Amino acid sequence: MTADAFLFWFLAIVTLVSGLSVILMSNPIYSALCLAMTMVGISALFVTLNAYFIAGVQLIVYAGAVMVLFVMVIMLFDLKKDLQAFTRGRFTGAVKIASVGLLAGLVVGAIAMSVGLLNEKTTDNPVLVGTGMESTKALGNILFSKYILGFEALGILLLVIAVGAVALARSKGGTHEH
Amino acid sequence: MNTEIFSNIGLTHYLVLAALLFVTGMAGVLLRRNVIVLLMSIELMLNSVNLTFVAFSKFLGILDGHIMVFFVMTIAAAEAAVGLALAVSIFKRFNEVNIRFFEHLKG
Amino acid sequence: MGMGKDIFEITVNGLKLVVIFLMMVQAVPILVWLERRGSAFIQNRLGPNRVGPLGLMQLLADAVKFLTKENFVPDTAKPLLYYAAPVFALIPGAVAFSAIPMSTPIQVSAFEMFGSTWGPYTFLVQGYDIGVGIVFILGVSSLAAYTLLMAGWGSGNKYSLMGALRASAQTISYELALGLSIVGVIMLYGTFNLTEMTVAQQGPLAFTLFGYTVSASWLPNWGIFYQPLGALLFFTTAFAESNRLPFDLAEGESELVAGFHTEYGGFKFNMFFIGEYGHMMIASGLMALFFFGGYGIPYVSVQEVQQWAASIGYGSGLVALLHFLSFFVKFAVFLWIFIWVRWTLPRFRYDQLMDFGWKTLLPWALANTILTAFVIYIASL
Repeated sequence: MTADAFLFWFLAIVTLVSGLSVILMSNPIYSALCLAMTMVGISALFVTLNAYFIAGVQLIVYAGAVMVLFVMVIMLFDLKKDLQAFTRGRFTGAVKIASVGLLAGLVVGAIAMSVGLLNEKTTDNPVLVGTGMESTKALGNILFSKYILGFEALGILLLVIAVGAVALARSKGGTHEH
Repeated sequence: MNTEIFSNIGLTHYLVLAALLFVTGMAGVLLRRNVIVLLMSIELMLNSVNLTFVAFSKFLGILDGHIMVFFVMTIAAAEAAVGLALAVSIFKRFNEVNIRFFEHLKG
Repeated sequence: MGMGKDIFEITVNGLKLVVIFLMMVQAVPILVWLERRGSAFIQNRLGPNRVGPLGLMQLLADAVKFLTKENFVPDTAKPLLYYAAPVFALIPGAVAFSAIPMSTPIQVSAFEMFGSTWGPYTFLVQGYDIGVGIVFILGVSSLAAYTLLMAGWGSGNKYSLMGALRASAQTISYELALGLSIVGVIMLYGTFNLTEMTVAQQGPLAFTLFGYTVSASWLPNWGIFYQPLGALLFFTTAFAESNRLPFDLAEGESELVAGFHTEYGGFKFNMFFIGEYGHMMIASGLMALFFFGGYGIPYVSVQEVQQWAASIGYGSGLVALLHFLSFFVKFAVFLWIFIWVRWTLPRFRYDQLMDFGWKTLLPWALANTILTAFVIYIASL
């Protein structure tokens, strides 16, 4: 087994186990910490896919900001262990689990069937091999040329979200009074 | 025994891993009652989608998948911000963040 | 990436990581001694001077004390998180510090060992060279917030929890200004790679503006002359990121006992301490790298040093040593400024801290980014 393959299997197990723990832990804080672990694992998987810049951004945005917010909110609420973490009702529960299982089977089956049809051009693009600088430059170039409209739209979205979050959260309280 | 599947990592491996993570997240959304855990499960689903984007991007040799990951990340962060703000206001009112309190949001 | 192509290179690269980690950990007692002596002189006292010459043996005495203290877990603590937090406190600092280039590469020519020829090697004087170095360092060090939260919540103490919430809120608020203050540098050098940045800062100050070449041979080509505001903002936010005074709201002892590490004693406390000093070291290293030429020796380029070393019959080893010394001097100066500021400035109030971060640093960092972009665009016309 090569080092790359070992790395992939190791990271796959880490992400899957911590991803499963997110939904199985009844204490939301442990869920959040497990999700942070998953994010770090996915970031490492991005590195194995030569997406260095994306991996760094994943660490900064998801693991460093979004998940810290989650953990902080949960700690601020001082939530105890959820007394009833999962939805009630045997029948609906069974239906939900069955639907999830069905979807899982469909997705995995579809991938297994169809992937042979894709012709893998594994990294004949010079932009996607190497230390990451070339791919980062190319990424910047297409982000600000081909996808500039989406980029601008995202800026507006973030502005709206910032205003919305402040409006929602300021109803009462806050970190400090003026 | 054929060990090719263990030693030769290709697109399929990443896609199956991403699919499993996605389904895990979906199970979380369906089964859990705590709003914050629901939001976290959604983040998990979005992350698995990011993984497929990057995997396709590498194995097809184009960078457009990375751009999509940017967009997904931004939208996920925005969604988390609004979701958490909603959870905070629900918590202030009911002292619990159960999903059933969200029915009071109407009107 | 990759550790190397044969067993010798892999071993050396692995050992290098261990050495860099040990360097980081071993620097901490010396810094603690410096901080205690320095603070004493700043406050017109003597500081520890009884154990050994200049009180240097105090470090050993402290280490023995830390190791022999009683190991206890509070009743309300969550043992897993309580024990995991100090261990995690070391990781972001160590991982990020290994990515900082500290000198020029060392070339080893082919030699005979164990009856076979070992090909020529090039060893970098840094843990690993990552193409997008800055993004990696920022990403890894942003994970430090979890340590605080785990420690605060795992201790089962409300003062710890409040300290942790304050500290992490501060960390993620100041991270914005920190990231934005570096954007100017990234645009200026057009790279994320730390080594390329260092190379770009060699030689005397010279740049092109409107087609004219402006040069000042009496100044080194350092980033501080292009990005003074960026340097100031970066250094300020670095203080906040490493939870040092004047931003150590996390452990405002008059309100919160000792913040997130209230319940930690002995060696576990020591590990938090090493983590904090690790952040200081990363900040000092990055400050030297972005704004003060990294390992470059002022006024002299690496090629000139190489020629000089070759003329007196030495190879890349001497060149690497000289550049490492140059880096180390800059690094030490910034570490000293960290200590100096701690004993000079009083602590902010919490609302002042948040207002300063969001209403002062962030707008100025944005302005710096936009201004830099404009100037670079105009200069390239």
